[in-house]
Amino acid sequence: MSIELKSVSKIYGKTRAVSEVSLTVNDDVQTLVLIGPSGGGKSTLLRLMGGLEVPCAGSVVYDRIPLSGDEAGLRKFRRQNGFLFQAFNLFPHLSALENIVLPLEKVHGFSQAKAKDKAMEAMARFDMESHSHKMPTQLSGGQQQRIGLARAMAHEPKMLLLDEPTSALDPEMKAEVLDVIEELCKAGQRIILTTHEMGFAKRVGDKIAFLSAGRLIDSGPSPDFFENPSSPEVSSFLQKVMKW
Amino acid sequence: MKYYISALVCTILGSTFCFVLWVVLSHEYDWAAIQPYAANLRAGWWTTLLISLAAMGLSAAIGVMLTAGQLSPHKLSRFLTRVYVEFIRGTPLLTQILIGYYLIADYVNWDSRFGVGLVILSCFSGAYLSEIFRGGVESIPRSQWNSARAIGLTESQTYRCVVVPQVVQRVLPATAGQFANLIKDSSLLFVISVHEFTMQAREANANTYATFEAYLPLIVGYLLLTFPISILSRHLENRYRYEH
Repeated sequence: MSIELKSVSKIYGKTRAVSEVSLTVNDDVQTLVLIGPSGGGKSTLLRLMGGLEVPCAGSVVYDRIPLSGDEAGLRKFRRQNGFLFQAFNLFPHLSALENIVLPLEKVHGFSQAKAKDKAMEAMARFDMESHSHKMPTQLSGGQQQRIGLARAMAHEPKMLLLDEPTSALDPEMKAEVLDVIEELCKAGQRIILTTHEMGFAKRVGDKIAFLSAGRLIDSGPSPDFFENPSSPEVSSFLQKVMKW
Repeated sequence: MKYYISALVCTILGSTFCFVLWVVLSHEYDWAAIQPYAANLRAGWWTTLLISLAAMGLSAAIGVMLTAGQLSPHKLSRFLTRVYVEFIRGTPLLTQILIGYYLIADYVNWDSRFGVGLVILSCFSGAYLSEIFRGGVESIPRSQWNSARAIGLTESQTYRCVVVPQVVQRVLPATAGQFANLIKDSSLLFVISVHEFTMQAREANANTYATFEAYLPLIVGYLLLTFPISILSRHLENRYRYEH
């Protein structure tokens, strides 16, 4: 599936979150990583690519077909994909298992029994089956993210979109979640993610895109992008964040 | 420190309660004077129970509709429901009952005091409930709506499976309080001669001048109505509690 962003812009009130971004992601790019300073537009761009936001100008094109602008069309598109945000992904009134069963049953039309089987399978994949009955508040941040990943993966999505999935975690839990994401990459899952973990971006990313102040400053294949940054802004950013 | 404060609070409350109870019980009562009115008081209590139960159901329905109006994307709907809520909350119930019965019900030739009383009480309580429900819906964090959209739920599924179950738990205490108020507010229906509990006590007092003997049963009678609501609310709160 090729992805093409054609002069995409998104404006909230007076803030230009994403400004005329054009980017082509070919079929062979399995993992696209969006990096850049906070507030640079990474998350908004990810949401635009995932059909969670509608661009104010330009278009997001998948396999030469532009994403629909109406909610029903976007919902249909979102249902093919899986999402994970920074935190608070889970519904606090449902157990870990119920959190995964809910979309399988209500969105993907599985019977209750089948949805439960699939949910348990997904939990087993992320080593979480022994926590199935627990409520989200009884799980650590890392475990919550793993349940979030299990929910996002349970229906075998075409694409997994991860928005800073480890930003709210402490270092140990961060490693636990990054390991799981790396395994997904190795297993061939197509992923678009935003992250501040440069080491991780370099390790899993096939293509890196750097955004700052809403603009796409540079993009290119990894690890070349990190080793020979062509733009001074990218170079200065990488020097700063990779210093420690 | 906490221990001393709670000991102090217990002492003040306990001794005040004992003092009030002693003063009330040590008064000499002539219970025989209101004996002939006991059946009327009982009938009044049943009327209060009936009108309160019906008004709870109707006011909850009105509350939900007003909440939908207040959260509607349509400006006019938001404006009109806001005006309604502000008007009802800002004016005395007594005046609303008088206008509702002697002007509006009279204009449309509706002569059921019970029916008109029920509708006015429900419209009044519904305005308060809508504020409680609206606050509940607005207290659900943005991240929950986001997650629901991301997993592909429709708007109605989001309300049914994600928002309402969380709102119910949050609004239960305030709703129980409003229902207790509604039961006590029903006593104002005496102005349109609905023969509810307080009206019967007023009549017993007017005929016997045994003021305390006529009004003291109201304490027991109203507590019998409001206390079960508190118990039920606590029970439901525990049942819907999802934070462990």
